[in-house]
Amino acid sequence: MDVTINPETGTLIREGVDSILNPFCEYAVEMGLDLKRRYSDIETVAISMGPSQARTALMRCLEMGVDRAILLADMKFAGSDTWATAFTLAETIRTMEGDFDLILVGKQAIDGDTAQVGPELSEILGIPQIMYAVGVELIGNKKKVRVKREIETGNEIVEVKLPGLISLSKGPMIRSVSSFKEILDARKKELRVVTAPELNINENELGLKGSFTQVVKIFPPQVKKTGMVIDSSEPQGAAKKLIGFLKERKFV
Amino acid sequence: MLSWSNGKIMHEITSEIVPHVDLKGIRCIEDYSEICQDYSPYLCDESKLAHQGAQYLFFPTNEGELSAIFKEMPKRDVTVTISGARTGLVGGAVPYGGAIVSLERFDKILGLRYDTHSKEWLVKAECGVTIRDLNNWAMKKTFPGLSESGSAETKAFLEKYKESQTTYFYPPDPTEMGAALGGTVSTNASGARTYRYGATRNWVRWIRIMLASGEVLEIPRGKYFATPAGEFIIIDSAGNETIVAMPKYTMPLTKNAAGIFSAPNMDLIDLFIGSEGIFGAITEIEVALQKWQNPISIVQFFPSDDKALDFVITLRKEKSIRPEFIEFYSSHSLDLLRKKQKEDPKVVGMPPIPDYAKSAVFFDLQFNPESKDHDYSKLEEIVYRCGSTLAMSWAGYEQRDLERFKNFRHVLPETVNTIIAERKKKIPELYKLGTDLAVPDHALEEIWGFYKSILEEAGLEWVAFGHIGNNHIHINIIPRSLEEMKEGLSIYREFARKAVGLGGTISAEHGVGKIKKEFFSIMFSDKVLKEMKEVKNALDPGLMLNPGNMLDM
Repeated sequence: MDVTINPETGTLIREGVDSILNPFCEYAVEMGLDLKRRYSDIETVAISMGPSQARTALMRCLEMGVDRAILLADMKFAGSDTWATAFTLAETIRTMEGDFDLILVGKQAIDGDTAQVGPELSEILGIPQIMYAVGVELIGNKKKVRVKREIETGNEIVEVKLPGLISLSKGPMIRSVSSFKEILDARKKELRVVTAPELNINENELGLKGSFTQVVKIFPPQVKKTGMVIDSSEPQGAAKKLIGFLKERKFV
Repeated sequence: MLSWSNGKIMHEITSEIVPHVDLKGIRCIEDYSEICQDYSPYLCDESKLAHQGAQYLFFPTNEGELSAIFKEMPKRDVTVTISGARTGLVGGAVPYGGAIVSLERFDKILGLRYDTHSKEWLVKAECGVTIRDLNNWAMKKTFPGLSESGSAETKAFLEKYKESQTTYFYPPDPTEMGAALGGTVSTNASGARTYRYGATRNWVRWIRIMLASGEVLEIPRGKYFATPAGEFIIIDSAGNETIVAMPKYTMPLTKNAAGIFSAPNMDLIDLFIGSEGIFGAITEIEVALQKWQNPISIVQFFPSDDKALDFVITLRKEKSIRPEFIEFYSSHSLDLLRKKQKEDPKVVGMPPIPDYAKSAVFFDLQFNPESKDHDYSKLEEIVYRCGSTLAMSWAGYEQRDLERFKNFRHVLPETVNTIIAERKKKIPELYKLGTDLAVPDHALEEIWGFYKSILEEAGLEWVAFGHIGNNHIHINIIPRSLEEMKEGLSIYREFARKAVGLGGTISAEHGVGKIKKEFFSIMFSDKVLKEMKEVKNALDPGLMLNPGNMLDM
């Protein structure tokens, strides 16, 4: 079901809408797990910031095979724009997962369609970024990545030294499916909830206060109605009207 | 269920007249060539059975109009075939001449109430409402038109229903959710969820049915019961009495859609549910809803067909595990799906079926994704004893996963249909031979062994799948030639005789309609068939309604 907008309050109506892991983020998880299958010593960690829906998304990552997860959940994070989100994520990664090698993200969100968190995150962390990847290989004794990325005219192969950040724009054609064992086991894995006081960030840089942009209003685009509707309750009259319309435009 | 609220059990019922309407005002197509050209869908159903023409196609919008048609047609010596959503598989809605009467405009929701006696929510609707709409409305808690047109009492119930934290749904799930409610009641439709919830019959609490006379009976469940001699007395508005004697035979102890209901002291409502429209047209229905609980769908793979059967038999005995349905994919079915995956992976919608999988059982359990305290050790143990592990499975609980798992089940018969359609291009006489036999629990292994040995020996192409929880495995024989078709037909008859011999039925869910009558003689003696025909003669002496369905008069 599509998310609709309440025209009075300008907020998204999420009731009755299943929240799912963002498909582009799912591609990132699939890619991480694919690398893990090829190199058994890789540890995978899923990180997300958000309310209860984010916990659902992280649980899905754990079911898919990610080793553990971190959920950034605090009212102080509420209202974060992409910058505040990237800033909070970067600080979390720095303080808690400082020895990371590779960050994989989805190319964009599918609700607000923002695509800035990935690039901003790499800028804050001071690591190279490759966007719109469709294939990733570890090379040079896992010190480098070779990435196939989409560009307007085709594909491009890029290599960078790790640590780095890659955003994914494509994944497997058919979504993977977990076994019942994986679904049950996921619930026994570590899902660490991190709150604002655990991070070394000034409160002014968190949430709405730390955001450069603010959503003032959300509204549905005005639907332009084209065409003509002919009432068919009087079939003969309706047919006459239709014929008249077609004749007028010299179609018949 | 002898529980009518005022405690009075009755054997007599009086039919009532409905307001008179002039036939001229009813929408009707009288030109046969126009029916063929512009209204051809009304000439067939999902069985693809060839029709025998039609003189009229009526679209009544209310009981008054329907009654006018019923009263007029005998005067013109014209029979009537009732048409719902035409999703049936045995030609019930396919006209054999006469008038087609489409009830698609009977599409309104009429009421919602909570019954304090039975402690359940009840929805009343016209017969043309689809199962899909009914379920969507029940689950989303919005019933179109009800908050405007409903009585003050209904509006109060609607508010209460909306406030409830619980989600409700209508359990009968005949796979084809586009089916009309009236059609599903007339055929006592069932499906996968029948394993847990029973067939449509279990959920119908009240009906209005228009008899061939054009008069209407209103029948709540639990009020009108047969006399000890097995009779009902129907009195028309003029005071004329008709005595209807129920056929006397023991129904199979399985899911069953063959023949007229029969039981000692039976409820009158059960005579009409599943009678395939030969006694009247059901116009309004009240059904009960059930609490919805989040499920998880599981496809558990096994190393052989026999191990899958072992699993089903053990699972059914384990009362602490309560699946809503238990479905089977035979080894050949998985092979067919693998082939389909290679051709068009998107249609199947699942990752490649693992090589180790030689059969599978598809079922679902209640599952709360938020809970951490899951104990499925009993299931794990049973799976392990049957040569598999929970790691050798697919599972999903998100709505999109529940849908794709359901599709993975649905795509199998569709694939068979596609193969047949392809072969039909070369040999037009070919059709799919799909069994609809069910046996009692104790006979599952025996019938499976019987099916398998005969089919393997014959060297035919076949797959097996379906409602194994109800011992209702669909065998689909996919003939490659007319010889194979002939052989398949004779095997089908042999299977039917075996199933009946084991206390089963020739039609567990598809019904009899115009297609499966030949198997009737396997299941019923001449005496019982005669008794069934006597019911028809009593209720529809002019033999106007749905000629060709169920009984050859």
